Amino acid sequence: MALKHFKTQLEYFKISLKTALDYRASFIIQTVSMILNDIVWIIFWLIIFNKFQNTNGWNLNDMILLYAVILTSYGIGGVFYGNRRNISSIIVEGRLDYYLTLPKNILYHVIISKASWYSLGDLLLGIVLAIMFIPLVKAPLFILLIVLSAIIFISFDILTGSLAFFMENSEETSSTLREGLIAFSSYPLSIYTGLTKILILFIIPAGFVSGIPVQLLKTFDATWLMYTIGFTIVLTIVAVSLFYIGLKKYESGNQLYVRT
Amino acid sequence: MTLNKYFYITRTNFVNSVAYIQDIIGSSAFIALIIFIFVNLWKVIYGSNEYINGFTIIMMLWYLVMTESIVTSQSRVLEEMGNEVINGNIANYLNKPYNYVLYKYFQSLGRSVVKFIVTFVIAGLVVYIFIGPININLITILPIILIVFLAITLNFLIMASLGVFAFWIEDAKSLDFVYSKIIFTIGGMLVPLEIFPKWLYNISIYLPFSYVAYYPAKLFVAFDYMLFFKVLIVELMWITVFAIIASMLYKICVKRISINGG
Repeated sequence: MALKHFKTQLEYFKISLKTALDYRASFIIQTVSMILNDIVWIIFWLIIFNKFQNTNGWNLNDMILLYAVILTSYGIGGVFYGNRRNISSIIVEGRLDYYLTLPKNILYHVIISKASWYSLGDLLLGIVLAIMFIPLVKAPLFILLIVLSAIIFISFDILTGSLAFFMENSEETSSTLREGLIAFSSYPLSIYTGLTKILILFIIPAGFVSGIPVQLLKTFDATWLMYTIGFTIVLTIVAVSLFYIGLKKYESGNQLYVRT
Repeated sequence: MTLNKYFYITRTNFVNSVAYIQDIIGSSAFIALIIFIFVNLWKVIYGSNEYINGFTIIMMLWYLVMTESIVTSQSRVLEEMGNEVINGNIANYLNKPYNYVLYKYFQSLGRSVVKFIVTFVIAGLVVYIFIGPININLITILPIILIVFLAITLNFLIMASLGVFAFWIEDAKSLDFVYSKIIFTIGGMLVPLEIFPKWLYNISIYLPFSYVAYYPAKLFVAFDYMLFFKVLIVELMWITVFAIIASMLYKICVKRISINGG
């Protein structure tokens, strides 16, 4: 059963890659511009840390680890589960009908059926940073952490996308929450204190996406790894449940469209 | 009469934006969130320091409110214009009695004004609550508004010029990515240019990008008449340069358009 889904995913991936490669120049430009985009952020931190050395215990090296984690996990989310960001518009426009009629897991089918190739640049740069800055002994831990982090990204998008079942005009809200997760997770965890820290750990789970993985890569702590795994499982269960509870309320439109 | 029609274009878009204010509040709320992160970041960086490169923490955060409000007020222009060049929609404007670049300018202005005000108020509120109010002399408000207006105009013209290149590279979003990062950094949107290493500062202050974000925000938090006149003159000069570049590029672009029926 799981294998069948994996095969479907592989086919979707192949088709999507072929389509993208048809517009080769554009594909390369997108990837390169994304890498440039990310490098600019790293330069920004280079400038900040060059001037201020450390922010509450975080230094440039930690920031590079953060980028290695976040770019790789976000890149995986984009390249292999790129449609997760479109869940709310798919629901609102009644395009879920297509998936309902097919003998595959509905939610899984939705999120794998499109790749966001802009994320390829993120993924490539993330991997390069990881190879350059993470010692080989920590590679297994790094892989585990980026898998968890990618699952949190995907689950959070499912959660916010599913709001469309319950709220009218939820697209703006879910996009703000989504962008918020990325924004909060691209800054040092150490700058947040008190109530804000609780907010970015449990409400917008930015801490678990990047900050805690970085701490764990620096100094391993089994308890925090367990917390991260536990949190990822809980978030995934909540997100998937919300989607299926919402699905019961789903009403299709009468729109005819060609699926591209 | 000629200018009259452009005034109506701006007015229509202004009214439209007000009618769909929810949409604008949504994206402004995101900027407020970014400002909230900056409040946390700069509090840690300042620690017990009162000044960093002549900026107090209050000045620093109000500086960022200003740069974010200016830059995000036109967040869609480059991608929209680039896409019109790519998908050929630009042809729809050619038989209309107006200049395409001017039309786009006045159209985006209507929306930018609303967006600037909403973002400034919401992001400003965050800084007001968490850091405090900024002291500004009431007499300086008008000159600052003028500089901000010109900064928005310059930003539009640079984006309009870049938008034409979508004709060749066939991807407007990538252009937007790269340009926005230029403004983020050497334009001074994310940090005042003084924070940069000396060599980068010396380059950045002469480039047109710093007139989009850095100078207007610097004037806002530390007004100075000498600087105001200097910025005014140089900003006008860059506006002229990019107006010429944009109109020339679109002339070339239109010549290369081939229309294949409807």
